[in-house]
Amino acid sequence: MTDDPAEMSMTAVVRALRGRTLSPVELVDAYRDRIEAGRDLRAYITPPGATARRQAQRAAERLARRDRGALLGVPIALKDLYATRGVRTTAGSRILRDWVPTGDAALVTRLRQAGAIIFGKTNLHEFAYGVTNANPWWGIAKNPSDPRRSPGGSSGGSAIAVVGGMCAAALGSDTGGSIRIPAALCGCVGLKPTRGALPLDGVFPLGWSLDHAGPLTRTVADAGLLFEVLAGRPAPRPVRTRGLSVGVVRGPLTTRIQPGVRARVEAASGALRRAGLRVRDVRIPELEWAVATQLVTLRAEASAVHARWIRRRPRSYGADVRVRLQLGALVSGADYVVAQRARHRIREAIGQAFSDVDILMLATAPMTAPLIGDRVVRWRGVAEPVDGALVRLTSPFNLSGLPALSVPCGLAGGLPVGVQLVGQWNDEARVLAVGRLIEELAQ
Amino acid sequence: MPVTERDQLAAAARAAGLRLASQDLDHLLVAWKRYRALVDDLRGRVAPDPMDDDD
Repeated sequence: MTDDPAEMSMTAVVRALRGRTLSPVELVDAYRDRIEAGRDLRAYITPPGATARRQAQRAAERLARRDRGALLGVPIALKDLYATRGVRTTAGSRILRDWVPTGDAALVTRLRQAGAIIFGKTNLHEFAYGVTNANPWWGIAKNPSDPRRSPGGSSGGSAIAVVGGMCAAALGSDTGGSIRIPAALCGCVGLKPTRGALPLDGVFPLGWSLDHAGPLTRTVADAGLLFEVLAGRPAPRPVRTRGLSVGVVRGPLTTRIQPGVRARVEAASGALRRAGLRVRDVRIPELEWAVATQLVTLRAEASAVHARWIRRRPRSYGADVRVRLQLGALVSGADYVVAQRARHRIREAIGQAFSDVDILMLATAPMTAPLIGDRVVRWRGVAEPVDGALVRLTSPFNLSGLPALSVPCGLAGGLPVGVQLVGQWNDEARVLAVGRLIEELAQ
Repeated sequence: MPVTERDQLAAAARAAGLRLASQDLDHLLVAWKRYRALVDDLRGRVAPDPMDDDD
């Protein structure tokens, strides 16, 4: 275990705070030093201010009184689309640059009730509507592994903050992969829980039927603890992983993958097999429809959220988000219906796959972090838009609402790679258990 | 006078209440073509035209 508080896992932080071998003030100062040193990465839109230190001092007093809160004194950063009472909440936009909510998002309330310190607001793709985190208003976020590269998005700032030791953990949101993609590209854990498991009240919406809230953390155990607090659920009973059946997703969807990424995912599946899990191949051809289905659904739903602003003040959006919203205004009802029929078929096909396996496994993203500004990735000469490639393997599970976890599984070309584990409805426990095993086997 | 895809898109955008500069329309046209190709492909796979069998 590391002695540097900024490097500790959140569960280690909780233990150290309770054991009073670490003070919340010391912890907050360590994170703030990291934020200052890593300012160029643009992790935060609103870094934690003096209030965070005062909250830390109060937490120290409560810890001294042996008060108990699951996250008492633990600094948690928030993607800047979670409403925070009295603290500017921009959603990464120019339009909301001066919005100061009068109340907290439901999940922020739960964090405060658990004793967490709300530790600043992190950078995101404008209105969460993109996966590169090249934000024209608040700065282009940069990958800690290589600042010439994107951290992924839209919760890119949260992933940078977690990997960079700038908070104990962070919250993100995920409409097409926006928690899992930056987690994979930056090298941390990202959990998109089952749709509806966490309330979205007070989270600025992107696509009403696709949005999910969830944590980004240093370890799978951290993700499990934070999920329990956020969901208001007791800790699930430990799950035996030996004998579980894991289906490795094969087929055209997963053929366009960088060789280094493929090798890491194959290594992880091999390690699971050696650990006593039953690993087999699974084919779900309907997943090939996911990018188009996601595109139509999200274009229409996001356009509904922004219907007034995109017509009255289009220049208040960055160029990429503006064209997505304008396109969304042209989506027909017939197109939306086709997409929902496809979505129904995709959900049925995934459900059928789960009749034979407990967990689905595939890469989180088919590539490591792209260079900032790259728009196209080429697969043996065939071009694919970077944003489409990045959501290709994650969006099926926004369409289905199933829980999905991205776990670091090594490096390719010196850049982090994430493997994605998908479970059945409300089966976060088994997803987390297998994720934890992958983490252990990689050490 | 021939009506181009760009003209049709401009008319649809106006009807939807969008205010587009010429450059916006150029960007939207690129996105629109990609969108149409994806949707038409999806429709063909998921919901083929029921009249196709009557040809």
